[in-house]
Amino acid sequence: MLALSQPIQPQTADRRLAVQAIGLHKSYGTGASAFLALDDVSIDIAENEFFTLLGPSGCGKTTLLRLIAGFNFPTNGQILLRGKDIAALPPFRRPINTVFQNYALFPHMSVAENIGFGLKMLGWTKSRSVDRVAAMLKLVRMETLADRRTSEISGGQQQRVALARALAPQPEVLLLDEPLSALDYKLRKEMQVELKRLQTETGITFIFVTHDQEEALAMSDRIAVMNRGRVLQVGRPREIYNAPVDRFVADFIGESNILSGRLVGQAAADAHQVRIAGAVATAYGKAGTSGDGTVQVLIRPEHVDVLDSPSSDCIPAVVEDEVFVGTDTRLQLRLNDGSTFTARLTNSPEQEKIRTSGTQVWLRIHSHSARLLGGDHVQHR
Amino acid sequence: MAASQHAFDLKAQPGFSIIARLAIVALYLPILILVVFAFNATSSLGVWGGFSFDWFVKAWHNDLIINAALFSLFLATVAGVLATVMATMAAIAMTRTDAYRGQLVSYALINQPLIVPEIVTAISLLIVFAAVKSATGYSGTGYLVLAHTAFCIPFAYLPIRARLEGMDLTLETAAADLYADPWKAFLHVTLPRLAPGIVAGFMLAFVISLDDVVITDLVKSGGQETLPTYMLGQIRRDMTPEVNAAATMLLVPSILLVTAVHLINRKK
Repeated sequence: MLALSQPIQPQTADRRLAVQAIGLHKSYGTGASAFLALDDVSIDIAENEFFTLLGPSGCGKTTLLRLIAGFNFPTNGQILLRGKDIAALPPFRRPINTVFQNYALFPHMSVAENIGFGLKMLGWTKSRSVDRVAAMLKLVRMETLADRRTSEISGGQQQRVALARALAPQPEVLLLDEPLSALDYKLRKEMQVELKRLQTETGITFIFVTHDQEEALAMSDRIAVMNRGRVLQVGRPREIYNAPVDRFVADFIGESNILSGRLVGQAAADAHQVRIAGAVATAYGKAGTSGDGTVQVLIRPEHVDVLDSPSSDCIPAVVEDEVFVGTDTRLQLRLNDGSTFTARLTNSPEQEKIRTSGTQVWLRIHSHSARLLGGDHVQHR
Repeated sequence: MAASQHAFDLKAQPGFSIIARLAIVALYLPILILVVFAFNATSSLGVWGGFSFDWFVKAWHNDLIINAALFSLFLATVAGVLATVMATMAAIAMTRTDAYRGQLVSYALINQPLIVPEIVTAISLLIVFAAVKSATGYSGTGYLVLAHTAFCIPFAYLPIRARLEGMDLTLETAAADLYADPWKAFLHVTLPRLAPGIVAGFMLAFVISLDDVVITDLVKSGGQETLPTYMLGQIRRDMTPEVNAAATMLLVPSILLVTAVHLINRKK
């Protein structure tokens, strides 16, 4: 079990920064109809990092990506690339390339011509460009399809061409705008591994935009969770999953039970005794100071044991439904304060136990796994 | 295709077939008769006297017809090219931009020749050009080139604009992302994608210029004849199937070009 009480190490202190966003605002329209797409966003992204912008549609992640690419310009704020402000530069002057959601391959060019386009625009010599295109084709395993038209290859292959085209000019930063969303499940899983490999092999900073939290957890070095134009939390996948700063992040990443509790005492600097549905548990994190002592506690479905007899500090619950999903069994439970709770139990043949609806059980929360959620949206850098 | 598959199929309505046949006959029978009598052996335009190529041969050796035809081709080419260049620039300016005040007015102005009756345009041009002529003394082909360019622009503009509007804008964004400045992005991405629209626009402009009578007849200076104005002059005198032969020859490039435009647009 990961010890969550450890202070979170700053990730960027000893590494050079590739991209810094400082106080970015972006609004569309004016007056009453104005829409604030980015609201005071500040982010540091280190060199050679696989950094993911994660959030629901309309959260501002694509807007932020387009500002970094130079397709749009911020209303306010700075964008630094290796310390230099690039916010006013047009996209063709930025050493940053993009993999577009719909790939945006040039339909009137072959695969090789597409990959060589950036090099041609940069004025590379023909022979140097040919070598580079060949190396890129090899990198994405498309050597045999160099002369095909882009309309003659599959979606997964188009994806690889788009990657090779964006990587060919050796950009300092590669931006990826939901590049896997058009692929089917199996291909998407393959491409996740492939992208991770490309990032490691090329050593280029990747900034990846997605709304798929599973994808973000699987691929990223660090994740910035965004909502309503703001960055809510930045951290490693484990931090984001285990120690979300607020209810939105907890809800958006993974499955969660968010319960109301009441503070009854303090156990340590960042550990509090909380009464939840008739039992007292230790919850970690900062307690929200406002209000009447009511706090929100996050408990992941896999962080409880389900007992058939009462035990101290266990939460009583009644089984409402049981769903077998292969590796796991999901128990749908109701607590005595009326709230629902989902528990996920790992299946194994010798331990299999059928609990019918109405069975009384007791939940034991794993140590260090109940988290206090701050109600306010604190921005963590 | 089975008509029953559609909720409403005009082709299945009673009387559709008869109306369609009548319309086709009304549109094309006169043209067919004109072509048939171009092959008449006698000089009659109404009585068939046997098959012959004589009138084509005669027309081919008539310097007036040949010169008029060459002038028509020259005028259509120059006006077509100028109109297409202007239409392309106008279409790009009006599709690759944020909405601006007067956008609708610009659109209406460009399409003005499609709406204003041709005789009105012709008379206003006649008045303006007469004034310019008396002021400058210039009476060359410039007036006809200007006039033809002006009324060809909307015909060139429409297919180019349609093509631009159907184009994926992220392609141009991708080009900019890959270090292409706006001019290079236009040259390497927009223009190749736009080419079929430009070709179609030019062909339409060319045909429209080639076929024009009213404006040409009023604007032209003495001694300038296009094929249509020459034919108009001929039928006022004693008319022979030579005019039919010339008209038939004029039909051929028109049909070929319009068919080509259709084929280009169908391809995508």
